[in-house]
Amino acid sequence: MLAASTTTLPLFLALSACAGPNPLAGPPPLSSDVRGLFDAVTDEQNLIWIYKRTMASYSAEAPPLSALLAEHQAHLAQLRAMIVEPPGKTIPSTVTRKPAVPGTAATAVAQLRAAEQAASTAQLRRLARAAAPLAQLYASIAASEATHVSALTALAARSPR
Amino acid sequence: MTATPTATAKQQPMQPVPALQAALAAEHTAVYGYGIAGALLTGGDRAAALADWHTHEQARDTLEAMIVKLGATPVAASPAYALPFTVNDARSARRLAAALEDGVTQAYLGLVAVSDTTLRTFGALAMQPPANRAAEWRGSTVAFPGMPGS
Repeated sequence: MLAASTTTLPLFLALSACAGPNPLAGPPPLSSDVRGLFDAVTDEQNLIWIYKRTMASYSAEAPPLSALLAEHQAHLAQLRAMIVEPPGKTIPSTVTRKPAVPGTAATAVAQLRAAEQAASTAQLRRLARAAAPLAQLYASIAASEATHVSALTALAARSPR
Repeated sequence: MTATPTATAKQQPMQPVPALQAALAAEHTAVYGYGIAGALLTGGDRAAALADWHTHEQARDTLEAMIVKLGATPVAASPAYALPFTVNDARSARRLAAALEDGVTQAYLGLVAVSDTTLRTFGALAMQPPANRAAEWRGSTVAFPGMPGS
């Protein structure tokens, strides 16, 4: 029934203008699918950065957070595997948002939860214009992030304030 | 030509009615399965199973209405369903509940493959509660809810 799975998802078109490109006109614009993938890759990298900083600052929270971090690393790997780098463009590898780690474990976990919620919402915004297999990947990652929101809500309730 | 679409990328989008029917079938299965699981659970787990059972009944009714609105006849529930494994105690009942939620999650992910953006968003949002319930019954999250093998 599904059109996609983590093992059968195709590598994606790198470029949108396939018919008769003018070699002197420079690289054609990126397709909306690739732009969406680049954004999704950046979002995952930002989340991973926040997880690592939080875990480094609050080692007592690291064990429960490590499983969620591992799932984000799986998301990132899957998203990156969907992209054939277009000429003149590379898959984003920089973290674009580096919020300060809050002063207590509970607020740090709350910050992670807010970041997860925002990331899930962003994935859903990408659905409409994405090709079906890619839309399913975004939806699955959004659902994963929704489960993280629940897990972090429970963790925040028992973290030191 | 700078790149070629793969066979999967050329697939026709899933049609709305079959995708909705698949989701409805999964909800029928969940309603049946929770009847089995709930009978083997006690205390908080039993209360959770009862609440989840009612949630799936409501989702079933919603899907039936959507299918009727599209001019199709909703798929009927079967009198009985084969369970994926032997369910004879609380532990296996919790495993069954997680499996039921995984099945519903996967079915709603199928809706995300349709071209209608409203249905896509419906499917993407509808898969989140069962993904959460599956994680609660299983006791752990998965990286790719709804994807085969996750």
